[in-house]
Amino acid sequence: MQKEFLLEILSEEIPSRFQRDALSNASTVFTKILNDYCTKFSSVSTYISSRRLTVVVKYLIKKFDNVPEEKRGPKVSAPERSIEGFLNANGKQRDDLIVRNGYYYLQVETHSDDIEDLIPLFIRDFILKMPWPKSMRWYISSQKMLSAFWVRPIRSILCIYDDGPVNAFIESVGLTTCDYTYGHRFLAPDPIKVSDFEDYENKLKENYVLIDYRKKMSFIDRELLQRVAAIGLHLSNDDELLEESTGLVEYPFVHVGTIDTEFMKLPAPVLSTAMKVHQKYFSVEYPELILAPFFGTVTNVPGTDVMYEGMNRVLKARLSDAMFFYKADIDVTLEAFAQRLSNIVFHEKLGSMAQKVDRMMSIANSKDEHRAVALCKADLLSQLVGEFPELQGTMGGIYAKIQDESANVATAIREHYKPTGANDVLPDSFTGSRISFFDKLDTLVGFLGMGITPSGSKDPFALRRSALCIIRLLCDSEFNVLEEDNLSWYVTTLINAFSDQGVALYPDTLENVHKFLISRLKIYMTDKLMINQEVMESVISSFDSVDFSYKDAVAKSKKLSKSLARAGFGTIKEALKRTLGIIGKETPENFDENIDFLDSHMKNLKNHIEVCQNIHDESEFFSSIVRISEIVLETCENVLINDPDPDLRDKNASLLCRFVKLVQDNIGIV
Amino acid sequence: MSQNCVKSFQDIIFDLQKFWADYGCVIIQPYDTEVGAGTSHFATTLKAIGDGHWDAAFVQPCRRPKDGRYAENPNRTQYYYQYQVILKPAPLDPQQLYLDSLQAIGFGIAEHDVRFVEDDWENPSLGAAGVGWEIWCDGMEITQFTYFQQVGGISCSVIPVEITYGLERIATFIQSVESHFDINWNGREDERKLTYGDVLKRFEKEFSAFNFDVASIDMLLEHFNDYEEECLRLIHHNLVMPAYEQCVKANHCFNVLDARGVVSVTEKAWYISRIRTMAKNCCQAWLECRQEAP
Repeated sequence: MQKEFLLEILSEEIPSRFQRDALSNASTVFTKILNDYCTKFSSVSTYISSRRLTVVVKYLIKKFDNVPEEKRGPKVSAPERSIEGFLNANGKQRDDLIVRNGYYYLQVETHSDDIEDLIPLFIRDFILKMPWPKSMRWYISSQKMLSAFWVRPIRSILCIYDDGPVNAFIESVGLTTCDYTYGHRFLAPDPIKVSDFEDYENKLKENYVLIDYRKKMSFIDRELLQRVAAIGLHLSNDDELLEESTGLVEYPFVHVGTIDTEFMKLPAPVLSTAMKVHQKYFSVEYPELILAPFFGTVTNVPGTDVMYEGMNRVLKARLSDAMFFYKADIDVTLEAFAQRLSNIVFHEKLGSMAQKVDRMMSIANSKDEHRAVALCKADLLSQLVGEFPELQGTMGGIYAKIQDESANVATAIREHYKPTGANDVLPDSFTGSRISFFDKLDTLVGFLGMGITPSGSKDPFALRRSALCIIRLLCDSEFNVLEEDNLSWYVTTLINAFSDQGVALYPDTLENVHKFLISRLKIYMTDKLMINQEVMESVISSFDSVDFSYKDAVAKSKKLSKSLARAGFGTIKEALKRTLGIIGKETPENFDENIDFLDSHMKNLKNHIEVCQNIHDESEFFSSIVRISEIVLETCENVLINDPDPDLRDKNASLLCRFVKLVQDNIGIV
Repeated sequence: MSQNCVKSFQDIIFDLQKFWADYGCVIIQPYDTEVGAGTSHFATTLKAIGDGHWDAAFVQPCRRPKDGRYAENPNRTQYYYQYQVILKPAPLDPQQLYLDSLQAIGFGIAEHDVRFVEDDWENPSLGAAGVGWEIWCDGMEITQFTYFQQVGGISCSVIPVEITYGLERIATFIQSVESHFDINWNGREDERKLTYGDVLKRFEKEFSAFNFDVASIDMLLEHFNDYEEECLRLIHHNLVMPAYEQCVKANHCFNVLDARGVVSVTEKAWYISRIRTMAKNCCQAWLECRQEAP
């Protein structure tokens, strides 16, 4: 392909979890390099597989040819100094000057390097600048030096430009670029000569390397789905595992294997976690979403009987171990585990996990809550959670059921780590939501109270995430997590609990917790809910106490944002302002609906307000409020609201209050 | 013995020894004190530091007290064998060299799914870190493959590669047996056949009980303190290798204490930091001594 640039850096196996980000990083870095070297190109695309990172640039040329160009200088009448300066800057002599229209001109050649000369620099800079989450150096014996940093040792570099090979020595990795690469490590290890990208992609495919990450991923997904569908089953959806599997092979072969029925006695989460974590096996389900005794997996080479036998042996060993832990765990009660929580440090300044549980107890309310709090951390001492930390909570819930705790308590224990972040689901149960809230608030109060605050990218105790989860529990949950009390009560009670344990938190802890939570709430509203900054600020600043309802703040902001976007919003705002100016901020709540007005304006307004309340269509409703606002403005012009007759004044004011309430409740103006 | 006889555990070891001897390694013997991994052999840790070349291979019996299962788990034991290779500097294509070694011990690569799965290795108590993979065979980790980047808290000036084979796991694949204890050790199929279980099952059972239930805590605590004191004292005498040995012994005491379940999380961090200090001091002293040498 004409003027096409192809670069492949063949290395030892690139960690799977780095690959997806590497695609976009490589593209950004390479584009920047091309721009820095003043080149022109139509596109940069990147490809990745477990052993190679590839960059393709279409139609790469230098920015301009070295054609002479006329450059205008100073006026002929300009001082001598300016003319000297013009000549020096362009490296020319007085004889070179051309005079036209009263100006001096010079014939200048602009300079742009040839792409061929720049290619070694592109490669050198790319290796230097490509960011990997973790990289390494290796020893280059021929040069007796350490290499540049790369994710794993680079073994070969392919480079083609304009259909021809590029042979450039890249000193930092001790390699000369060439026009051949290698196929699959086991299935096609011989060198492959390549002429351009199309040829490269095709030949690699023939040699068992799929260079397109997305295509490879959907290929695996499709193949696995088909294979399990053929036996009437479902693949349990796991994007994380799919991505990981994609990065672990150059060419995917899928296999569906069986699990010995004896292991089906293990709780489903244990089975799928053990398979996923240790073996990277997908779980397979019956149509009714119950785990089936099968697994799906991806291999880098075609399956053989010996291989399948090996897989079964490995799985058996893994699951035997899980069974060993599970059996040992169910011999011990959660209470017995909980008694050992004092051996687990929560944080050196904030005491043990047992102490954390005691503090959470101080804000718990019902009998179920007390029980769930007492047992919620017990599974940290279980062997299975020791082996699979991601099963914390899940195992607690399972063990609670086995020892006949109530369903509510067992569910609360299982759910109390949820949500774990912005995208995780909230607990389904009220008690689970409450325990989750206690746990996260205790963490936040403790760390902030010790003066440990996140700064910049440093947030080692994930306090921002704890705050986010608290905010989500307060805003998004269907339950009223706070019950009868306000946030200050919970924070203060926790501070006292710390103090009872001999841990003195900073005196301004209550204030700091509010400040931190509100600052995170603001970010949540603007960044996650996409609420306009001004709307968010105006809503939050309208509350006069820090104990305002986060849920209300979000609801009001959403309403206001919606209203703002509609025509007529200005009219409503003006009418509201006008009304409040006349009747004052104090608005009587009671309105006698049976009042009759003699004044035609007031009569008209009353009718409209009444009609409006029966409108269900959202946009029609809004239009009707706009119309009412217009009537309000007209009325205020023509009617003396504050009539000297106190009875009449009260009647007038009362109708306008009804308008104010209508707007405040439905439009979100505060 | 007949031709189609199973490849014995000891034959696997002999073949590895031969392969790496042919490559040019010194074939040395195991470290004669309890270690958790071949990395702790001075032939790895100390020799990996500094310039110059060092190619060595050896079998190392390893002790991981917490992994004991009273010989009831087919694949997890508190005592097992590693085959350790250290090549400094790492040669041009160590991955292929490794795959060749598998072929050499009769491991049919073509029939298996062999993969390099990211696993950066770190031993905080030795201040050592490296980048590499665990090598998977049909989903089981059979080898750890690491390019050292740092040892004893010191960045490597020449990058070594460490290849650590899990001998029992490889043998279960080659012999197609389910349990480590069923591995044929001497290769005989008659009444004089000896399995891994015959050799080590009782050892495994008794040591599991020792590690988990019976070992004297007071004695171990005392030993730990003594080894630590001795280690730091020896460093002052510039006796780096004896000092290092005290550090390794202290580490093992700690591992048994940990298995006995008497080390709380806070204490654990405290012990590890003490071991790290010992190891770091040893590595630094080693480097200084070497630099003094002509």
